[in-house]
Amino acid sequence: MSVSTKGSTGAAGRFQGVRAYLDHTQFAGRPVGWYLTGWRGGLIVLFLAILFPWVVADQSLIQTGIAICVYVLLALGLNIVVGYAGLLDLGYVAFFVIGSYTTAVLTSGFIADAKGVPHNFTPISFWLVLPIAALVAGFFGVLLGAPTLRLRGDYLAIVTLGFGEIVPIFFNNVPYFFAQFGIQATQPADIGPISFQSATDNSPIYYLALSLVVLVILGVISLRESSLGRAWIAIREDETAAAASGINLVRTKLLAFGLGAFVGGVGGALNTAFVPAINPSEFNFGISITVLVMIVLGGLGSIPGVILGAVILKLFDFYLLGRLNDIVHASPLVTEPGAPFHFLAAFDLGTTKFLIYGVVLVTIILLRPQGLIPNVRRQRELKGIGASVEGASAVGLLEREEAGLLEPSAEEDEQSAFTGAGSDAQGRDS
Amino acid sequence: MTTFASSGVSLLLQQIENGITVGAVYALVALGYTLVYGIIELINFAHGDVFMWSTVVTLAIVQAMGLVHPLGGLALVGVMLMLIVIGMAVSGGLNVVIERFAYRPLRRAPRLAPLIAAIGVSFILENLAQLYRGAGFTAFPSIFPIGGFNLGGVQINFLDIFILLLAVVLMYMLNQFILSTKLGRAMRATAQDPEAAALMGVNINRTISVTFLIGGALAGAAGVVYSMYNGQVWFFTGFQLGLVAFTAAVLGGIGNIYGAVLGGFLIGLVQSIAIQYLPNGIAWSDATVFAILVLILVFRPSGLLGQQVPDKA
Repeated sequence: MSVSTKGSTGAAGRFQGVRAYLDHTQFAGRPVGWYLTGWRGGLIVLFLAILFPWVVADQSLIQTGIAICVYVLLALGLNIVVGYAGLLDLGYVAFFVIGSYTTAVLTSGFIADAKGVPHNFTPISFWLVLPIAALVAGFFGVLLGAPTLRLRGDYLAIVTLGFGEIVPIFFNNVPYFFAQFGIQATQPADIGPISFQSATDNSPIYYLALSLVVLVILGVISLRESSLGRAWIAIREDETAAAASGINLVRTKLLAFGLGAFVGGVGGALNTAFVPAINPSEFNFGISITVLVMIVLGGLGSIPGVILGAVILKLFDFYLLGRLNDIVHASPLVTEPGAPFHFLAAFDLGTTKFLIYGVVLVTIILLRPQGLIPNVRRQRELKGIGASVEGASAVGLLEREEAGLLEPSAEEDEQSAFTGAGSDAQGRDS
Repeated sequence: MTTFASSGVSLLLQQIENGITVGAVYALVALGYTLVYGIIELINFAHGDVFMWSTVVTLAIVQAMGLVHPLGGLALVGVMLMLIVIGMAVSGGLNVVIERFAYRPLRRAPRLAPLIAAIGVSFILENLAQLYRGAGFTAFPSIFPIGGFNLGGVQINFLDIFILLLAVVLMYMLNQFILSTKLGRAMRATAQDPEAAALMGVNINRTISVTFLIGGALAGAAGVVYSMYNGQVWFFTGFQLGLVAFTAAVLGGIGNIYGAVLGGFLIGLVQSIAIQYLPNGIAWSDATVFAILVLILVFRPSGLLGQQVPDKA
């Protein structure tokens, strides 16, 4: 968790003023930066998050806070898979859907038969369903991972993408889940004097969300420090070396996949606890991509990074884009009929959201692949990407050899290229 | 009873005819995936959207020319030739630009980086098209002569024949190019061993650019005829069709051009038949394709025409 002030060598020049302030300004005998580093910074953020509902009395802001918590959970879960284990999962929404539907069905007490006729059963309390939903999502993570994790990384990306597409199709087309009508969510039962069903006060759900986030963060930290976490990182850095050191590749990857899905299921359950109803059409590829952008933006493998990424993207989504739209539409450069940007008047900037996500994804991966708050180890691994533009165009063999560009494929059949044998989908992950 | 049976047979034959036509489009797009994967081992996620931009540009040209009715004679030949050339140039050029600015700087990076860049590019292309054309479908005027002939209960349209002919001609040209030109040899050499190829004087960067150009151009040609076949243009077409074409490339054995063609036609057939015979088939047709993809990857990851190569990792 050593972050924020350390390890920003990539863009050091630009942040020198801030860094000098953090390093040299003393507060109670320590530099200011010391207080913001590691668990101390985390505690400060947590403290602010706890105060949040008291400071803002606005219920819609608290709801935003809950939605941010849902996405922070998703980002933390996907970070296990992509950031730690280095497996690209493009269908993460699937586990979010599974968590949401498990919770909705079990807490509502309604399920349809094959003809779409509803039948009711005794609803189960949200507090019991929460772990069940997470386990069900984790189970499906393992189920999907077991046959596919033997594949090399880029195939895995496609298979997970397909899974993410199929799961909402499934909920939309089988009769048991009321298809397009969706399922009305049931609020969690009260605990003592704390009511989770109040229409006027969202703060209990907010604190529930915050506690889940804290629990998941603690879990993820202890996982990362465990032998399993080190095995994930070893696999990410060099699969061959990891296997040679006695790491069981399939089992280790499967655990990353299952645990990532488990956290996604927690996110889904929490989502169901506060939205009025869930509907298959809300769950789409856009969610998978949004979560991916969050963790890439914040910093793959960095817990504070992915949290920051989730918060930034959700705030951008909820407020900044709308605000920006208002500003643009109020500008005389746009409103005047002859003005240079008049064509923007009839244009809703909200529709550019995913365009901006795409630009963020490409820009970050090209210019700052370690993200906003880098994980120090990951940064070292990704180092030199931005600087390789000139190197890549040089034909010098030595240079490419050092850089490990396009490893020689001696094991391929001699007449393989294009006309003969294709390459294998398995193994070979450089 | 006999009429019922024969209509059942002709229904199946009709779906086979549809499958072959749409399979030709899949095969052309799948070739782009396979060529790029063969040479730099990258799944070009943006490839489907490069295809989609060809449909968007084709529609723009047709609208600019004010064409709304089926053409005939020389006008048809001229317009089709022009649209195909422009479509190929747009998609091929777009693919080269993407490679140059988004993938080439990441060639030394860990595998994940260019994949993420490709997803980002795909999103940018899709959303630019959405900004330009809106979120809905736009109808494509039927400028190709409607009609065809009926062969034992199976309707074969002129456009279907044209699509199949175009695909076969382009595939033949690609095969000749790869097997018997200097650049084709450079591509094969680079795909097999880039360093040895560089030692023999092959310009690796140029060869990779040419590969992206050809892959994009094939998708561009497919885009022109697909928009006519489908009768509409949509910004999201590339996402779905790209996934199907990628599945085709994997089914045939990724990196193998004959495999991509075979896979394209097979997937086209499977999809048409699934739409016809599965209950609520249209809703499940994408799911069928993904199921096939997973099954191939699990049981025969090297695809139908690929050879099993030893694991390196």
